[in-house]
Amino acid sequence: MFEPIILAQILWTGIATSSPYVLLTVGFALTLKVTGLWNFAQSGQMAIAFYAMFFALNAMAWPLVAAIAFGIVLTAGSAILVEVYGLQVLRDRRSDSLMFFIFTLILAEFIIYVITLLFGTEPETLYRSILSPVDIIGGIAISEWDKLGVTLTAGALAGLYAFMRYTKEGQFLAAVADNAKLAELYGISAQRAYRVVAVISALFIVAAMYLIGSHGGIVPNTPLELVLSAVIGTLLGGIGRVFAAAWASVFLALIQSFSILFLGSRWQNLLLYGLLFATILVFPRGVRLQRLWGR
Amino acid sequence: MTRSLNLPRRTVLAGALIAPFVVRAQGKEPIKIGNAMPMTGSQAGYGNDFVTAMRMGVADVNAAGGIAGRPVELIALDTQAEPQLAINAVNRFIGVDKLPMFFTAWSPVVKAVAPIANREQVLEINCGANSPEIANLGDYVYTAFPLAEVDVVKLAKYTFTTLGKKRVAVLYINNDTGIDAAKLYRDTFTAAGGQIVAFETYDPKATEFTGMLLKTRAANPDMVHIHGLINDIPQVIAQMRQLGLTQRVSSYSAAYNQKLLDQLGAAAEGLIVTSLAPGVADNPRVAPYIERWKKEIGRVPNGLPYTQYQYDMVYLVKALYEHLDKKGTPATGTSLREALLAVREFDLPLTGKMIIEGHRVDKTVYLLTVEKGAYVPLATLN
Repeated sequence: MFEPIILAQILWTGIATSSPYVLLTVGFALTLKVTGLWNFAQSGQMAIAFYAMFFALNAMAWPLVAAIAFGIVLTAGSAILVEVYGLQVLRDRRSDSLMFFIFTLILAEFIIYVITLLFGTEPETLYRSILSPVDIIGGIAISEWDKLGVTLTAGALAGLYAFMRYTKEGQFLAAVADNAKLAELYGISAQRAYRVVAVISALFIVAAMYLIGSHGGIVPNTPLELVLSAVIGTLLGGIGRVFAAAWASVFLALIQSFSILFLGSRWQNLLLYGLLFATILVFPRGVRLQRLWGR
Repeated sequence: MTRSLNLPRRTVLAGALIAPFVVRAQGKEPIKIGNAMPMTGSQAGYGNDFVTAMRMGVADVNAAGGIAGRPVELIALDTQAEPQLAINAVNRFIGVDKLPMFFTAWSPVVKAVAPIANREQVLEINCGANSPEIANLGDYVYTAFPLAEVDVVKLAKYTFTTLGKKRVAVLYINNDTGIDAAKLYRDTFTAAGGQIVAFETYDPKATEFTGMLLKTRAANPDMVHIHGLINDIPQVIAQMRQLGLTQRVSSYSAAYNQKLLDQLGAAAEGLIVTSLAPGVADNPRVAPYIERWKKEIGRVPNGLPYTQYQYDMVYLVKALYEHLDKKGTPATGTSLREALLAVREFDLPLTGKMIIEGHRVDKTVYLLTVEKGAYVPLATLN
């Protein structure tokens, strides 16, 4: 088990399989950073994204590009609707954070319930086959799905970085994230920033759900578990640190992958939740490598 | 959730031909059959087809005059294959519908409701789960479906002796379906002289199996046996192939499913599965049954052998009630249990002869393998 080729395979598949989780975590962490909300309604948007693409590809037999576009339109549209007719209403009422939490959670359950009625509860995949062609490179099995996942995630992260750093809209998001009221004094619309972040998150969600849905079966309840992985990544990375949350997701996947060298598969989830438990207790503001290094 | 009984048109026409029997049957109080199955949730693909098969059995028995002149009525409740929902369903069977017996499946469910059946002295009959522990769940819990010790034991011996595989990796789902059956496979294969080189379990909600499979790859088995459920088995095999594991795979009757072949394509080639019911070549009634599915439902059933048991359970009920009728004994959980043990041997239309041996049944195991994208017979193990 400790041969270099096995370790390299674990490293690669750990990174590749973390791709969709990184995308979901970034979408979740970015929303939290800019709006200050733990937006569990994103699990409903994950369900919308997957089933929209599933419907377009399988029931309508649309080409892939059209199916993805359909997924983006429905997911981003629902995110905007939630923002305008849900979250903004609560903000206007000066509702407390518990009310936001309950609202997003109930909304997610509602969306998933409707999707259950529409699509049933059998596991579905985007494509009939869940196999992806594999190349053996240097003794390591690398599938087309792996390549797509890593490329898509790296591209999305680079794009987000460039957007946040080099565009005015991105800088507005950062300003609203720092202090929404102060930003508004400078003429930056917080409401617009919230809508922009809703659309960006929707793009990340669609990309992630495409990857997950082309790799294995999804039932309407699956997103409720997926959003939990996004929460764990966000907590580990530290609230407000979007790219650190992305790294935390990769780290979590690698911990789970490498733990197989020492632990049975059945302990992997226990390890994950144990890590989260320890993080919340010991590092409530997330794990900061620089500080750990400094100690 | 209760599903009403919808008779297919063909059955109604057939029923009209024997109207006198039906009229006589419908004048009497119906015999209600309770069936607690997952009609929603991840196992609904199987659960709904199980209920449909039992409906077909009910329709056929009613068309032939019912049971002892009484019509049969099916009450199907949803369990989602979850113990808590199953407990609710069985409480309703007993408390509201006043049923003296009920059917169920899925090992965690069968186990969870067993204490209720024993306490209330209501006959519980498993017709689809295969955990070996089902044989030890109490006086009122019986199985009409062969437990894992039947097909898993025979498969493990066949793998060692006939296929000549000496090193096997066992991968199993970490719940009542997988744990006991995997241990049984391990013990049988080891006792036969083989070596279990990897014995790995995975979470029922897992979608990533890479770590477990890499461990398996490092163990270099001759063959891999997977004991999971229909949602996870295709994913495990797909990820196996993608990680370069080319070994032949065996599983049990849960993997005997067309959807698995659709999802895996060429990666399913060589897969060995078990079937505990005779196929088209073994029983002339099976082909018309499959044709009926195609005609009425538009496809073949998920888990064909399982559905054959479901259909046959109505005839098992018929035999029990007719036995009580002859004796003039009212149907209670206790009298039905006594009837089950007294009749003991049942000749059922789709699954053939069934002999109740204590809390177990023994059946012929049919092995099938995947060749050119279809299941074909491999061996018959008596």
